[in-house]
Amino acid sequence: MSRLPQVIGRACVILALLAQTALAQAIPYQRPVDTAPQADSIGGGYKVPAVQKPLPRDYWLQVLDVVALAAAMGISVWLVLKRRSRKWLTALTIGSLAYFGFYREGCICPIGSLQNVVVALADPKYSIPMVVTATFVLPLVVALYFGRAFCGGVCALGAIQELVVLKPVQVPRRLDRALGLLKYVYLGLAILFAVKPALARDFLICRFDPFVGFFRRTGAPHMLILGGAFLVVGMFVGRPYCRYLCPYGGLLAWCTRLARRGVTITPNKELDCGLCAGACPYGAIERMRAVRRNCLYCARCYAYCPRERGVAS
Amino acid sequence: MRSIARTGSLIAGSLVVLLVAILLMDYALASRQPFASRPAAEQKRVTAARLARKARDNAVAWALIAAAAAFLTFAKELVKQEKPSMPVGCGRSATRGSRADGGVHPTLPELDLAFVEQMVAKIGRGKEAGIPLLQAIQNHYRYLPDEALRRVCELTEITPAEIAGTSSFYGQFRRSPVGEHIVRVCHGTACHVSGARQITEELRRYLAIPDGEDTDAARMFTLDEVACLGCCSLAPVLMVDGHTAGKLTPATACEALKVTA
Repeated sequence: MSRLPQVIGRACVILALLAQTALAQAIPYQRPVDTAPQADSIGGGYKVPAVQKPLPRDYWLQVLDVVALAAAMGISVWLVLKRRSRKWLTALTIGSLAYFGFYREGCICPIGSLQNVVVALADPKYSIPMVVTATFVLPLVVALYFGRAFCGGVCALGAIQELVVLKPVQVPRRLDRALGLLKYVYLGLAILFAVKPALARDFLICRFDPFVGFFRRTGAPHMLILGGAFLVVGMFVGRPYCRYLCPYGGLLAWCTRLARRGVTITPNKELDCGLCAGACPYGAIERMRAVRRNCLYCARCYAYCPRERGVAS
Repeated sequence: MRSIARTGSLIAGSLVVLLVAILLMDYALASRQPFASRPAAEQKRVTAARLARKARDNAVAWALIAAAAAFLTFAKELVKQEKPSMPVGCGRSATRGSRADGGVHPTLPELDLAFVEQMVAKIGRGKEAGIPLLQAIQNHYRYLPDEALRRVCELTEITPAEIAGTSSFYGQFRRSPVGEHIVRVCHGTACHVSGARQITEELRRYLAIPDGEDTDAARMFTLDEVACLGCCSLAPVLMVDGHTAGKLTPATACEALKVTA
């Protein structure tokens, strides 16, 4: 069977990503600030206070974040595909949660960057820095070649759910599929609200991000409660947000269909024992074969495999 | 180790609940005070109270995160030790043997040999009656019980050597009792290529049939490897009594046995 369609597909996706990079970067612009009411128009002896502008993060630090993102994905691919080590992947997951989650407060977020990219494409007055574009593009490109390495051990939202998985139940296959469609609905809604004109625009994904409140240790009470509910449910249903709601996960799943490599259940030495399928909390092993578009790179199948334990630990 | 994990998860769990309660109470208390237009001094005081609450909640939140992490660590330890060591592919394979009538080795019912005598009277006592007699006995008892064969030798001219030779030569005769249901797993070319061996292995594991035997301890199922069931397009195929199940996987093969239940 020829690999050609896959190669062409990957090339098309990469071209599309490059094109959006070029388009979204279009123009630097100045935000008009003279529309705010001035001291004269307010009257009554009002004094304009000294403007307090929080300094943006240094540019080199932003670049460093992107480099850290790329490096974390590289390590994730290496740990899962080469070392097949769940132990080290868990270490990476905790590290990512600490850095991208609690230190950067959930703001190296390819999931949210989706909306910025959409707005930059739709609105000629809105442009995004290269850092945001890179944040959006990198995980998709990695998914084109290796599958959803971003989801395993890198994404802070995934990491917090990955670490709370306690005693996962297997969601019935049909229910799993049906709920999985929700994320495309959410993706559509997020795009719909992002392309509205500037004043009506809303970034749904960020507004209804259930876990960012934990990273910042503050937030709207209803979102904190919702996030807590997600985590409690996540103890028994593996990573519910990732599987059923994450819009970026939908994009990654599409890219993963073209992937060159991915998590495989070693065909040559398998026992048909089904331990891996029983261990996978995400329903990503069907008929003893890994389904790459659902695979969240957690390496549990390797950790539970009697044939793998002797090989790499 | 286990008791440590249990106590640890209990303590950490109640700590989580307590901290969540503190945060909720703090929120409820704070939101009871309306923030309307007030004199500057009052506003300063309210702002200071808000900042203090923010710092306090932040500290409690860190403690909550730490407690939740501790709880999860302990709870995972608890869950890990509870995990069964059997594969979960087909579910209840471990409890399988106790299904029929409780005992692992149910005793066979006492044979009623009157049937043998009837058949001998009907078919004949010559050597040529051997195969028809064996067929009739197999039809009646579903296998060839040793007692029945001995009775045949007593009643007819057929020698034990001839019976042993005939009954071991033809594939249709069997000398050991069968289960209630016969599972014929096709091992023809198409089924072999599409994994009949894995299906058989999975069924043996599921029914807990020891090597060298073909019937499970509860005498519910007898596994039979047959040459071809004649529906290669459905490979891999098995038949349970009259039912045919095709396009099997190790998991659906175990499901297929349940049609008899």
